[in-house]
Amino acid sequence: MKRARILVVDDELIMRESLSGWLQRDGHEVETAASGEEALDKVKEVRFDILLVDIKMEGISGLEVLKRVKNDDPDVAIVMITAFGAISTAIEAIKNGAFDYLLKPFDPNELGLLIEKIQESQAQAIENLYLREQYRERTRFESLIGQSPVMQKIFDLIQNVAPTNSTVLITGETGTGKGLAAKAIHTNSPRRHGPFVIVNCGAIPEHLMESELFGYQKGAFTDAKSTKKGRLEMAHGGTLFLDEIGEISMRMQIDLLRILEDHIFYRVGGTQPMEADFRVIAATNRDLHEAIKNGLFREDLYYRLNVFSFKMPSLCERKEDIPLLAEHFLHRFSNETNKQIDNISREAMDEMMLYEWPGNIRELENAIERAVVVSKKRKILPEELPIFRPEDICVSSDNTLAGIEKAHITRVLHENDWNISKTAKELGIDRSTLYSKIRRYMIAHR
Amino acid sequence: MKIYPEHSIVISPIGNFGPEITEPVKKEINRIFGFPALIIPILEGVDFALDSGRNQYHSTSILQQLEKSAPPFAIKVIAITKVDLFIPILTHVYGEAQLGGKTCVVSTYRLRDQISAARTDVIFKQRIIKEAIHELGHTFNLRHCNQHVCIMHYSRTELDVDRKSDQLCRYCKILLDDEIKKIGFKGSRVQGVKNPRN
Repeated sequence: MKRARILVVDDELIMRESLSGWLQRDGHEVETAASGEEALDKVKEVRFDILLVDIKMEGISGLEVLKRVKNDDPDVAIVMITAFGAISTAIEAIKNGAFDYLLKPFDPNELGLLIEKIQESQAQAIENLYLREQYRERTRFESLIGQSPVMQKIFDLIQNVAPTNSTVLITGETGTGKGLAAKAIHTNSPRRHGPFVIVNCGAIPEHLMESELFGYQKGAFTDAKSTKKGRLEMAHGGTLFLDEIGEISMRMQIDLLRILEDHIFYRVGGTQPMEADFRVIAATNRDLHEAIKNGLFREDLYYRLNVFSFKMPSLCERKEDIPLLAEHFLHRFSNETNKQIDNISREAMDEMMLYEWPGNIRELENAIERAVVVSKKRKILPEELPIFRPEDICVSSDNTLAGIEKAHITRVLHENDWNISKTAKELGIDRSTLYSKIRRYMIAHR
Repeated sequence: MKIYPEHSIVISPIGNFGPEITEPVKKEINRIFGFPALIIPILEGVDFALDSGRNQYHSTSILQQLEKSAPPFAIKVIAITKVDLFIPILTHVYGEAQLGGKTCVVSTYRLRDQISAARTDVIFKQRIIKEAIHELGHTFNLRHCNQHVCIMHYSRTELDVDRKSDQLCRYCKILLDDEIKKIGFKGSRVQGVKNPRN
């Protein structure tokens, strides 16, 4: 067990000394207080894991200490110490949140075991809290990480639409986090305790889509050996997320339109009408206006879906979020792979900021995952990123930002006779960044 | 006039302990801590520590008395007693030590419990040695160790004492070495000094 921080509260010096001595030898960090008043002062300054409090004290009683400390910090474990004959007070203390009580004098084993029990319980509570936090972080922050103004706008939109029952259409390029935005709407809606059922319309073959969505009755077809619930039924009380809705067949579009109107459907092979209560969120990377024009998407379904819509920005439109996202993925993957990688080097971050990220956040996520896997140090280096290809950089004198930057750096380097410190100072960057840029643009010393 | 080595650990038996107990304790203390160990009775009795209400002896009082009576060449003093020890808040203790201090005490009173008749003496002796090393370890600022086999592991029962080894774990050994360095001991452990008691 780890070292616990313990406060011993007793108005008898000999009790304080004997108990604190024993606890110190047991490896704990111990402080003492000679009165309830002193104990309350100490807990204001220091956070203790455990308080061992004598019930009977002059001035503020042990029971009062218990109540006040618990009121401010319910997670502190308080053990009451009492003499034989004061059991009723000890029981009252338990009712007021004390972890346990000990009758003086107590067996050293009893004390040791009790402290171990408290530590186990506190460790469990911390672990649960951590898991809850981790879960919350995944469902809330991973869904929507971003400090950029464009993402702040998205947060506001989600915040506004989540509590309603409106159908939502989310557009945006692949990998921009449409699914995560849909999940965020669900988790912030009154339906959050219900299921969040995903139907990837692009991944399910057309002939299976019907049974997948509506389910089937036993004997409806050769392989239907038992009745199976469809995704619509499964989404009852929750949210149905129709991902890649632009890929759905015209036939299914007709069925879907009907279902969105009355939420009534039939299982394949079934005659009994089924009704399910679900909210629909759809997403697509397709230009549905174009699809309508080309006769590939029904206009009425589009209007049925497009009650409330927004477009997820590409990563290029929110480059200022890259460091935050990258750090988040680094933290996640280093946890998952049990590798201690503390940060991303400045050079690697520079590379990421310069890259265009056609695959958006998903590509960034994959890049960090790969870097974490291959990295052998505590820092991600540029060459560990799959995007790092210096040979791909355009080095001709052109009007691209990269071209202008290269030309400028080359000129300042020459002006300073390749004195790296002077050049870096003049350019307003540090030496390591300058080296990174020299490598990146392959600037040669002539 | 006897000459005693400076930086010695003094073993002070209280009551009747024969060499079959004191000699192995002395040998093991020397092996673990590296300091010369001497057997010198410092206290004649511990009646001053008796709590007649509990019919037990207050171990902290014994430590205080030992500290007052410790010879100047002793860097640590360990008393071994047959009486049942207590500290006021607890029903009993097997021993007590001043953490990072000079003195400690071990009681053999409860160490005969739960031993099979055939191996009584061997196990009993081993327990005394382990508890003596354990308490002395505290005086070198070692705290209870998580490693179950380490001699600094806290034993809840006599059987726990039997289960742990007679060695310090790697971590406690390093901590002990650090503590010995802090004391400023440079290795010339046998310097003659006069024992004021003789």
